[in-house]
Amino acid sequence: MTISRRNFLNQNALGIGSVALAWLLQQERADAIPKNIPKQNQTFDLTPKEPNHPPRARAMISLFQHGGPSHMDLTDPKPELTKFDGTEYKEDVAYSFANEASKKLLGTRWKFRKHGECGTELSELLPETGQIADDICLIRSMHTGANGHEVSIRYFHGGIPGVLGRPHLASWLLYGLGAETQDLPAYMVLTDPGGQPVDSINNWSSGFMPPLFQGTVLRPKEPRILNLDAPAHLKGEPQQQNLQLLQTLNRQHAERFPHEADLEARIASYELAARMQTAAREALDISQETKATQELYGLDQDATREYGTRCLIARRLVERGVRFVQLFLAGQPWDNHSNLGTSLPAICNRTDKPSAALVTDLKQRGMLDETIVHWGGEIGRLPVTQNQGSPEKHGRDHNGQGFSIWLAGGGFKPGMAYGATDEFGHRAVENIVTPNDYQATLLHLFGLDVNELIFPYNGQVQNITAGRKARVVQEILA
Amino acid sequence: MRLLFLIAANMATCAAAFADAPQQLTYERDIRPIFRAHCFDCHGATDKLEGGLDLRLVRFLKKGGESGPAISTEVPKESFLLERLRSGDMPPGEARVPDSVIDIIERWIAAGAKTARPEPESIGPGLGITEEELSFWSFQPIRRPDVADLTDLPATARVRNPIDALILKAARQLSNKADASDTIAKHDSFAPEADRRTLVIRAYFGLTGLPPSPEEIQKWLADDKEDWYDRLLTELLASRHYGERWGRHWLDIAGYADSEGYSTADTTRDWAWKYRDWVIRSLNQDMPFDQFVTQQLAGDELAGPINGDLTPEQIDLFSATGFLRMAADGTGSGANTPEARNQVIADTLKIVGTSLLGLSLQCAQCHDHRYDPIPHTDYFAIRAVFEPALDWNAWKVPNARRISLYTADDRKKAAEIEEEVKKIAAEKTEKQTEYMKQALEKELMKYEEPLRTQLRDAYQTAADKRSDEQKQLLTKNPSVNISTGVLYQYLPEAAEDLKKYDTRISETRAKKPVEEFIRALIEPPNHAPETKLFHRGDHQQPKQTVAPASLSVASSGGQPVQFPLNDETLPTTGRRLAFAYWLTSRDNPLFARVIVNRIWMHHFGQGLASTPADFGKLGTMPSHPEVLDWLADEFIASGWSLKKLHRTILTSSVWRQSKETSDSESVFSVPLLRLEAETLRDRMLAASGQLDRTQFGSPALIKEDDTGQVVVDGAQTRRSLYIQVRRSRPVAMLQTFDAPVMETNCEVRPSSTVATQSLMLLNGEFILEQASKLAERVSSEALPPTADQLELVQQIRRSNFQEWQYGFGAYDEKADRIGSFTAFTHWTGSRWQAGENLPDPAVGYVSLHATGGHPDIQGRAVIRRWTAPADGQISISGNLSHGSENGDGVRGRVVSSRSGKAGEWTAFNGNSETPVNNLAVQTGDTIDFITDCRTAHTSDSFNWPVTITLQAASGNDYLTASQDAFHGPPESIEAIPGQIVRAWQLALCRKPSADELKLAVNFVARQIETLQQNPAGIPKERTAGRQAITSLCQTLLSSNEFLYVE
Repeated sequence: MTISRRNFLNQNALGIGSVALAWLLQQERADAIPKNIPKQNQTFDLTPKEPNHPPRARAMISLFQHGGPSHMDLTDPKPELTKFDGTEYKEDVAYSFANEASKKLLGTRWKFRKHGECGTELSELLPETGQIADDICLIRSMHTGANGHEVSIRYFHGGIPGVLGRPHLASWLLYGLGAETQDLPAYMVLTDPGGQPVDSINNWSSGFMPPLFQGTVLRPKEPRILNLDAPAHLKGEPQQQNLQLLQTLNRQHAERFPHEADLEARIASYELAARMQTAAREALDISQETKATQELYGLDQDATREYGTRCLIARRLVERGVRFVQLFLAGQPWDNHSNLGTSLPAICNRTDKPSAALVTDLKQRGMLDETIVHWGGEIGRLPVTQNQGSPEKHGRDHNGQGFSIWLAGGGFKPGMAYGATDEFGHRAVENIVTPNDYQATLLHLFGLDVNELIFPYNGQVQNITAGRKARVVQEILA
Repeated sequence: MRLLFLIAANMATCAAAFADAPQQLTYERDIRPIFRAHCFDCHGATDKLEGGLDLRLVRFLKKGGESGPAISTEVPKESFLLERLRSGDMPPGEARVPDSVIDIIERWIAAGAKTARPEPESIGPGLGITEEELSFWSFQPIRRPDVADLTDLPATARVRNPIDALILKAARQLSNKADASDTIAKHDSFAPEADRRTLVIRAYFGLTGLPPSPEEIQKWLADDKEDWYDRLLTELLASRHYGERWGRHWLDIAGYADSEGYSTADTTRDWAWKYRDWVIRSLNQDMPFDQFVTQQLAGDELAGPINGDLTPEQIDLFSATGFLRMAADGTGSGANTPEARNQVIADTLKIVGTSLLGLSLQCAQCHDHRYDPIPHTDYFAIRAVFEPALDWNAWKVPNARRISLYTADDRKKAAEIEEEVKKIAAEKTEKQTEYMKQALEKELMKYEEPLRTQLRDAYQTAADKRSDEQKQLLTKNPSVNISTGVLYQYLPEAAEDLKKYDTRISETRAKKPVEEFIRALIEPPNHAPETKLFHRGDHQQPKQTVAPASLSVASSGGQPVQFPLNDETLPTTGRRLAFAYWLTSRDNPLFARVIVNRIWMHHFGQGLASTPADFGKLGTMPSHPEVLDWLADEFIASGWSLKKLHRTILTSSVWRQSKETSDSESVFSVPLLRLEAETLRDRMLAASGQLDRTQFGSPALIKEDDTGQVVVDGAQTRRSLYIQVRRSRPVAMLQTFDAPVMETNCEVRPSSTVATQSLMLLNGEFILEQASKLAERVSSEALPPTADQLELVQQIRRSNFQEWQYGFGAYDEKADRIGSFTAFTHWTGSRWQAGENLPDPAVGYVSLHATGGHPDIQGRAVIRRWTAPADGQISISGNLSHGSENGDGVRGRVVSSRSGKAGEWTAFNGNSETPVNNLAVQTGDTIDFITDCRTAHTSDSFNWPVTITLQAASGNDYLTASQDAFHGPPESIEAIPGQIVRAWQLALCRKPSADELKLAVNFVARQIETLQQNPAGIPKERTAGRQAITSLCQTLLSSNEFLYVE
């Protein structure tokens, strides 16, 4: 196995946090590294950049749960809701499906219990997440204010509700920090074999930033990356020779145009492509993992094999220096408008074990300290019934007023439950966290300041939140 | 949701810009835009005023609403308005006014809440348009700038036309502002002129999107007349490929697609290409651009009444309206809902707005535009222009809109043919009835009377008239229930016979004239529906009727031009025609600017205004407004000739600059332009010689390959703009290089640089294919080597080893070895022989081809020689055959150089197996397959393919078949430098330098060596040398010099 910088840092016994050490090392080289203060006509690259302050995290894996996980059935116990099950809700409700709207409160049918030393209450639908309760920081007071899927997804990814054409959070990270590996794309997206997620390729767009910062898709089936493999007759030495000639010609050409950054970028992209050919294959080879690890992720079970494989690949990528990995789901399995009783357990069965395994695995490898794991959807669900005729068909409509997500590692306080929704789980009422707060906090842990990480665009200056109010949620930081 | 949202955050920075201004803050200039962005929806834009508060005039602010005055100039800080904004109560919902912006309002109040001028006594409903808004640059009339005062520029400044003059003037003004004198020096000239070759290549790509051939370059380089450049432009502007190049640009902004989109079905649009072809033809004809656009907007209104067959003019005019049919349209594929219909209209307006007006008109669909002075009512006034043809209440699905190109003759012919078909069908029915009868009788013969008669009666009784008894009978004896569908089981020959009728029917129908259609927008006569304003853009909330009119802000004095509701002189309402005339009138400040800016963008990589589809507040200001205006004015003055515009731009010194110098040395530096996706593919095809230059017609179809990648189906090598554009299935290669995936339309293409592109160029099937074609091409087009080149190739190690060789000679019976072997020296392309002529004057008929050959007299046997590549044991299978009845046949012998004869067979008008088993060989041993004439040397053509299996001592099996391995002379290494030079010329439009040639020869030498070490890795039908040249070609096709136009 190759020794990555991270491994090297972990292996030394200086007694200071390895990320802090990384910071020190970077400081030494600071003069050689361009500052990330944007200038006009700057060139863009993925060389490591100096953060604003010492970082806690260096990588992130986002397990995006499309559709809006039903927090009152999963992460946010509401005894009052159970108590008043079937009675009329007095508050105003914004519905997405007016034709099936009702005001009848719908208590959860699943049991909650306390987990771990922290005692965070979670539903029986998430037994494996329960096992990592002491490692995660659960936020129960998320708020997008909008019920629509795309509107809220774009809010989480791009910083403004509903607005397309903005760079993804990961693009900002790459822009601010550069890449740690030159052998793999620094921002990778693992899509679902079932198809594209809602909002499709917009989910990994670099918006108004150059495409250098956009996500690279790992296809769910072979070939994982198109055109990765050389044809048989060019494999090995002949292709090496071709590349060598190409780069010689390209360098000679670039010398004539010293101010054309694009030429340099293309030379670099060939180098990356060549390294990817070997590095990606190795990174994706999960047969290198022990049986125990594979079983941890549920690769031995039909229900969890697919999602578990992607979680495991995500870990391997991060281990090799990839900055940001995001997993998507096809369609919206958490969008339980109907048949809540069967559709919700089904998606829990598919994702609970692999999601928890990822945290466990990162922790036992000593990677969790520097790797943030995010689990959550774009919205939550309403405490009232979405009427589908008969009780077993009932579901819940969209709710962007209050819902839960969890974060782990990378400087988030473990074993914490933060914020609260009202007694029925409808609205976030205590310590409200918006996607902009979420972004500011994540950037902070990566050593970046939400207001200082700016990008010139159209003669103006942009940041990830587009100048919208955003606070670093200090209370949830370890 | 497919509406585009505006970037709310921009206001913060807009406002910051205002804050820097030293002037006094005024309501009109500084405050109103803030209210427009955040507040007017509820406080001024509509009759309904929330809380009774109207923010449109300062005196209304002072008066306030139900909660009292909104501002207080006495205690500015405590103004109710500020309090509401700061607390975040206003605006309601998620949006916030940034603090920096609220500060501006506060400073304005503190300074006395000034206005720029006295406020009017009364104002009408809505926001109206203010002087400040009208004074925005893009709404100002186009003014031809004065270029006369630039006579003092030095001759070295190379001012070729007003473009150059105006750019230098702008640079000089900038320098005058700057203090440092060195900046002035820098900003007073263009970069040196590019060399002629560079200019030729640049002009070819710019105007035709295709590279010049080596011969074309040579022609222009050798042209010693002074006006060579002028004639170059004339030739290229007249090229039929010009329209393809610039048609593709137009199709981007028009949103061209060959599918309907909207749903996952993404139904194909079978006739959209007629519009594409119209665009190409019109551009090639240099149709004046105002007409070009007028026909697209209102071709049907210009076409006049249809009397009988469509005239060619009418066909063209209808085809032009395809522009208004480019928006995604799901109404014909299962979504004929009010939402889907209105979406088509909204998308069409978005295309019209971004392509022709350069405004984000679509942002006024739900409310007044947040930033630009486009009232909600204006949006619907424009919508009213299109409503008679795109009426969501009297909707036509795509197929109902298409126009058949059948002529009356065609129709008559088709009807006649259908008559003929009917006759054949009747014959068939008759025949079938007869067969059914036969089948029944045949079947009934299996039954005895009286059952037979009973069954016949039952069968022949109509099903609903059968008695119970009859029904039972038939149930019990199911085989009697003969139907036409199973007739073939009873009378197989009958089925065969009946099929002949079907064949005749389809053959007859094939004679019908092919029915083609046009995808057009045609307004029904006498149809003038009312357009309602939709509250919040919601068709379920129709409000007041809005009449068709021009866009206020782009109309003289901000007063919209009212269009006729129903022009009496036309069968149609005439609304679109009136709109087109308004759009293209000299007074319209937007249209000409928007078009010349787009043209500039394609030539320079970026528009003078870098947001070509947004000339509003959120767009960018033009870097050189005077150049933009001069070009716009010139464009109109030249009669809207696009070709003249191109010539003007391409003649300028700014366009002719060399890009080799650093950008700080020019007053206007231009980046290298990466080829667009289509141009990249076209250039590869042009280089490899595969480009099919056929123009027009239905698109090249696409398919998914086995990795799920969308590729062009089969070997279709027409220019890329003829590839089918399926919205849901973008062609991988084109998309990877930034071709648009047509959501609605494409305003600007990005030019990305990502590793997936590199992987595609390293390993993609398309480039590998083109590289191999280019290698093939250079091997036949290479010039003979020069002495220098011959010296260069000495280093390439010649491989001595040849597995199969071909010659003639004789077997020495006494020695039991080969007696003589003379290698053939002449290769015909498929056959080895002794000389150019057959028979050869000296040695006669000896020759060998892939499967066999012909010997001459005794002593002149033909010999196919195999040399063992390894130690081991071989087995041979083969078949010696001789076809003629004349002569006495041939004799075949297998003779080993180590052990002598291993077998002997003859064949005369027949054949003979020629097995040899377990013959030991050592590396370098030869096995000769000797065929001679026996005694008579006439009629001795024979075939003798053999397969040798070698079980090598190393344990590996090796197999070679003489027929597959058959080859011509080993490649000539001497030819390699010539091939390299040709590859360079075809791929990069120039010869390699001496150093480059040396580099390439070294590369080829090394690769040949590498490949020869592992010959099994060389692809079938290629030699090591060919593969090395193929690699070189691929490298050139993926090099930056190939990808970027200098």
